[in-house]
Amino acid sequence: MDLDALLRCVGTTSCVVTQLTSGMIIGMLLFLIASGVTLIFGVLNVINFAHGSLYMIGAYAAWTFYQLTGSYFVSALGAAVAVGMLGVLFERVLMSKVYGSNVLMQLLVCYAVVLISDDLIKIIWGPVPLSMGMPPEFRLPPIRFMGGVIPPFYLFMILAAMAIGLLLWLVIVRTRFGSVVRAAAINGPMVSALGIRVNLYYAAVFGIGSALAGAAGALAAPVRSLTPGMGFSILIESFIVTVIGGMGSIVGAFVASIIIGLTRSFGSIGFPLFVDGVMFLIMALVLIFKPSGLFGRPHR
Amino acid sequence: MAGRWRDLGLAALGLLVLLLVPVVGAPPAIRDFIMFGMAYGLLAMSLNLLIGYTGLVSFGHAMFFAAGAYAFGLAMQSGKFSIPGAFVLAMAFTATMALIVGAICVRLNEIYFAFLTLAFQMLFYNIILGWVSFTGGDQGLMGGIPRPKFLGIDLADRTQLYIFCSVAFVVCIAILRQVVTSPFGYTLRMIRDNQERAAFLGINVTMVKLACFVISACIAGVGGILLTLFVSGAYPNFGFWTTSGEAIFMILLGGSNVFLGPLVGTVILRLLNDITVSYTSHTELVLGIVILVLVLGLRKGPLDLLADRWENRRQAKAQAVRDAADKDAQAGRDA
Amino acid sequence: MTSTESRRASRRQVLKGAGALAAAGVIGAPAISKAQTGTIKIGVPTILSGRVAILGQTSVGGLKVVFDKFNAAGGINGRKIEMVVRDSKGAPQEAAKVTRDLINNDKCEIILDAEASSAAFAVQEVIREIGVLCLHSNSETSSLTADPKLHVPTAFRTARQGIHDAIGGGDYAAKIAKAKGLKKWATCSPDYAYGRSNTAEFMEYAKHFDGNIQVVEESWPKLFQPDYTEVVTKLLNAKADAMYSALWGGDLVAFIDQANLYGLFDKQASFMVNLGDYGVVDQVKQFPQGVYSGGRYNRTVPATKENEEWYQNYVKTQKHKPTNWSWENAVAAEFVVEALKKTNGDTNGKKMAEAIKGMTLKSQFGTKGTVTMRAEDNTLVDYIIGYGVSLSKEPYVSDFQASAWEPIFELEKQWKKKQGYIS
Repeated sequence: MDLDALLRCVGTTSCVVTQLTSGMIIGMLLFLIASGVTLIFGVLNVINFAHGSLYMIGAYAAWTFYQLTGSYFVSALGAAVAVGMLGVLFERVLMSKVYGSNVLMQLLVCYAVVLISDDLIKIIWGPVPLSMGMPPEFRLPPIRFMGGVIPPFYLFMILAAMAIGLLLWLVIVRTRFGSVVRAAAINGPMVSALGIRVNLYYAAVFGIGSALAGAAGALAAPVRSLTPGMGFSILIESFIVTVIGGMGSIVGAFVASIIIGLTRSFGSIGFPLFVDGVMFLIMALVLIFKPSGLFGRPHR
Repeated sequence: MAGRWRDLGLAALGLLVLLLVPVVGAPPAIRDFIMFGMAYGLLAMSLNLLIGYTGLVSFGHAMFFAAGAYAFGLAMQSGKFSIPGAFVLAMAFTATMALIVGAICVRLNEIYFAFLTLAFQMLFYNIILGWVSFTGGDQGLMGGIPRPKFLGIDLADRTQLYIFCSVAFVVCIAILRQVVTSPFGYTLRMIRDNQERAAFLGINVTMVKLACFVISACIAGVGGILLTLFVSGAYPNFGFWTTSGEAIFMILLGGSNVFLGPLVGTVILRLLNDITVSYTSHTELVLGIVILVLVLGLRKGPLDLLADRWENRRQAKAQAVRDAADKDAQAGRDA
Repeated sequence: MTSTESRRASRRQVLKGAGALAAAGVIGAPAISKAQTGTIKIGVPTILSGRVAILGQTSVGGLKVVFDKFNAAGGINGRKIEMVVRDSKGAPQEAAKVTRDLINNDKCEIILDAEASSAAFAVQEVIREIGVLCLHSNSETSSLTADPKLHVPTAFRTARQGIHDAIGGGDYAAKIAKAKGLKKWATCSPDYAYGRSNTAEFMEYAKHFDGNIQVVEESWPKLFQPDYTEVVTKLLNAKADAMYSALWGGDLVAFIDQANLYGLFDKQASFMVNLGDYGVVDQVKQFPQGVYSGGRYNRTVPATKENEEWYQNYVKTQKHKPTNWSWENAVAAEFVVEALKKTNGDTNGKKMAEAIKGMTLKSQFGTKGTVTMRAEDNTLVDYIIGYGVSLSKEPYVSDFQASAWEPIFELEKQWKKKQGYIS
């Protein structure tokens, strides 16, 4: 415990600015992943435990596309699309077979996919951790702002994640696609009875959720090391975010991501040894006092 | 009552078979396999009391596995306790912890219960990792667990350890069997099938769930003790969420609706693990594919499947008997 | 016969074993086949899956190079060595189980424990009970061999030891600190036993050699943490003159990539003990200037013909670059081979241990062309320890300075006294 250090940090603008942005960076990547989890859960009522693997595949795909094309933007887009398509495949071939059955059966299918994809990654790309390196367009000196330091790439990352989140929210709230999806989330059979092919919508939602994970992987690739099993640690955190925000709520995921990001960044100064513990504590408290999460509606 | 005597008889028979293993000169590897299986078997069997019988899907059951292991290991390493003393202490610790965690968790339903137990498990895990001076942090309890003799029993001897584990294991399974066949066990099933109805009948649902939670945690704790004795140490990953996950897979691989299903699942998963590990360095790939085939092919645990078939056949037979009786009655009227 | 082929053979045998196991489980009869093929079986519990699969891969590579050569030369008394490699996934209880199975079921006569950290302690307990020869080839945690409470007569370590690295590194760091006036230090190491003890020991000896050094900030990211942003900004706020880090593998690569974004390395001197390894130093894309790394494995350290040949041969036969784990395991394999020659092929744990205890081996990885298995605590000494400046291209290191062992021995003794390991 070093609460003095925390107080000292909060007292100086440079430290506050730096830690705030660092919290946002951690939070926004988490948000991209968690929003996929929460979207899929909200509509399909399925917990996708394999989401971390999609994130990993996104990062590896971006790495390969980058080697091939040399353009970071092309590879990021390519990774998102590729993982989105993989997600549709995963939904059609595997997950759709266990809809409506035991939650634990769905869990088992996801676990199998996690195991298989970890091993396939190791076979294709090898066990050595890979690094994509910073694309040249972002090799710029950090921006100074009110005494704080913000790397340009991270600024891009935060803005990109926010833009994707906003787009997702608009699609869900403003478009016909979104209204069908929302209707399907509440009563799938009814929507189906109206002559809409719900299965296609399910696959699309799964694909979008997966593409979000792929995009997160691509955004993380320049700064995180790529190893088999890299989806593992991100998975638990994205679940904490999903639960705190409320299962099914994209706004909730956004707010909870920021909460977790700030807990990490300021926690590392104030209580470095118990940051993980505090995250689980927040999750436990939310579950005890408002089980449906900050922005969630009670579970059916 | 007859059922109870039959169960106890079967338990005694099971123990006899287990005890015969070293007598007939089975190689140590088989004994090791069984001992390892018994530790994880207790974890899976006790978790199924929550999942299969009460409908409480816990993602955090391994915390009690670790609680038993650490409490027992630390007590033994302190040198102040005999093995039975440390055993009792570990049970008391696990039960207290389960009482506190359970009191908070069992109020929640379904997925929220699952996530809250997960959160508590990870809190506990982080405490084990962080409290280095007491728990050894990520290195676990090093230097071996001392095993002083008690009542002439020497657990440093592998055969005696095997016998000790077998007895503890069978006693725990017998206790579980008594629980699920008692009126209390039927109450659990009623809660699983329809919680509101149970409440209307005047059952204190929260208290029953809590009692079930504590019993199952204690049995998991015994599993942890057995594993501690086997590896002569306790490690944080006993209480990591992946261990809870493994227990769930054991239940699913075996079947949650048949009493011994989780045990069968334990054996399947351990065999799968041991065989893939010896054959290939791509253990994950093989295990993943096998799980997919099992889940998508069978959709159920093998034992559940057998039980369903048996039930169908029994009903078909009963139907046939009824049909025949109807026909007879019809014939009688016609005559 | 190469060890690849033999591995396949062993799988067949394992199948038999597993079948027998199932059969015996069902009918309760002892059915394990007594298939003595005449080879000397060496069991290798290690990590082949997950994030540190590279540890297992390059460890096995180091072993194979030696054993293949031994087998090609005809083995000993016509007996060849056969490796049985098993994945424990790094879990201590699995490592214990796997080790027992290797000995009891696969009839391995020697254990080469290529496990990391806590799993090595679990293997140690199995060896204590069964008493076969065991060489820990990857665990650097000092207490494994230094603490007499953990001592097992037939268990040895052929890996680096944390305290040796700390003393050598502390000496080097102090020299640079004095020359450049680096007084305020920060640390950034993974939050687990290795990271904590390694860092505490390094800073202790840096202070010992230069009284002006003080630690102003410590940060402890979790092992395998994907994001180091909060750690980097914390270090930035500390405004230290220098930093020490015991991060390793992919974690270190990610940390450097992320710290680069904030220009952290322009602001301070950085000492990263694990940076010099292949798989790390050649993975960093934007290489910071003037960072110091401890000696791991490098084809130019020592810059001898033998070392270059060994490197070339390793890359040719194993299809990947050797790492620190590779040489540690190669040395372990050499000890096994030499000890077998001494005992004339007798694999009895006690006899092998007697042979290895105090043995000095001709080795390119030693400071004087030899390495020694110190008799008093069964651990490797006289291997190359040192620090150099890391480079972004081949040979990836310059100005490497090897530490002298005499001062290390002296300070190690004091350290052991302080820990209560010796009186």
